[in-house]
Amino acid sequence: MKDDTPTSMSALVPLESLLDKPVRPRVNIEALRDKLAAGRGPAFWRTLEEAAETEEMTEYIEQEFPGLSGQIPQGVDRRSLLKVMAASLAMAGAAACTKQPKELIVPYVRQPENIIPGTALFYATAMTTGGYARGLLVESHLNRPTKAEGNPDHPASLGATTIFEQASILNLYDPDRSQTVMQTGRMSTWGNFTAS
Amino acid sequence: MAVVTLAASTLGVAYMADRGSWTTSVRDAPEQPIPFSHKHHVKDDGIDCRYCHGGVETSRFAGLPPTETCMTCHSQIWNNVAMTQPIRDSWTSGKSIEWTRVHDLPDFVFFNHSIHVNKGIGCSTCHGQVNEMPLMYKVNTLFMNWCLECHRDPAQFIRPRSEVFNIDYKYPPNQAELGPQLVKEYHVQSLTDCVTCHR
Repeated sequence: MKDDTPTSMSALVPLESLLDKPVRPRVNIEALRDKLAAGRGPAFWRTLEEAAETEEMTEYIEQEFPGLSGQIPQGVDRRSLLKVMAASLAMAGAAACTKQPKELIVPYVRQPENIIPGTALFYATAMTTGGYARGLLVESHLNRPTKAEGNPDHPASLGATTIFEQASILNLYDPDRSQTVMQTGRMSTWGNFTAS
Repeated sequence: MAVVTLAASTLGVAYMADRGSWTTSVRDAPEQPIPFSHKHHVKDDGIDCRYCHGGVETSRFAGLPPTETCMTCHSQIWNNVAMTQPIRDSWTSGKSIEWTRVHDLPDFVFFNHSIHVNKGIGCSTCHGQVNEMPLMYKVNTLFMNWCLECHRDPAQFIRPRSEVFNIDYKYPPNQAELGPQLVKEYHVQSLTDCVTCHR
């Protein structure tokens, strides 16, 4: 007895059909190499088959994406480039119509004395090089140091710094910065550096 | 042709949308952790702007009050109602109250409150009559052309220093004479170089 009504799940989808995938056409690699070596192939390709521009390839594309094979770009012509440019320019205007993102203000619970948000505080401190201290004034915003300059009232500085004091601020924020003197990739000492 | 028409109309719509309240957020009161009323605190209670916005005369940022400032009153009054609960939560937990910024300039603009306040530009000139706002919103776009309206001719908007924090200040009928006089007296410059604000 033949009945079209499915009686089980297997009857809904013939399993064999799942195995019946389109066969990828074989590409003659040797011929392709010759072609490319002679500089006759397309300038850009996504697959070797596309590069080969074979009859089988065109057929394969038609089979996979019906109606598309004729539209595979073979270079961009001036007219279509201008169309795309005009459209993206017009849309660029639309994209600018947006609100500013929400921003929070997070005030202190207990505001520390002397701190006025938006203004800097300057702390007098010192930094040693080879055992000698140089007086510094460090600019600080909400307790975050941002700039080191010499302290005009300090006799060893008189307001000036060297490159080491200027760069010292980076030690606080750049974890990749060397923590010690290095010589050919190995840790060394400041004494070795000055002696060499 | 169609592309040109589309581009032109899109730009036109974009321009209108760009100046509308949806994008500028003018008169748009965002939700806040506490429905804080400037109308109540400024108009009914008569609290000065600087009691909470203490940095306005010395800093670029007017400042928002720390929880401690709220607690100066609200540890004593309205200290058991749900509306002020976030203040007490902040005070006991040590975690800040997170307010949504209403007047938000782009990050490429350097604005300084103190210079404006010290040269005779009143709070209400830019912020409007906050003593009439139950919830905070902005009355001006804060767009560059709006800034330039005053930067090109500060005499229109300047007021005596003594009136800067007077939220109900009305420009006198003789502003046309008083303005230039105050501009001269306070040494106000008409700064319209790009680098004045975009450094």
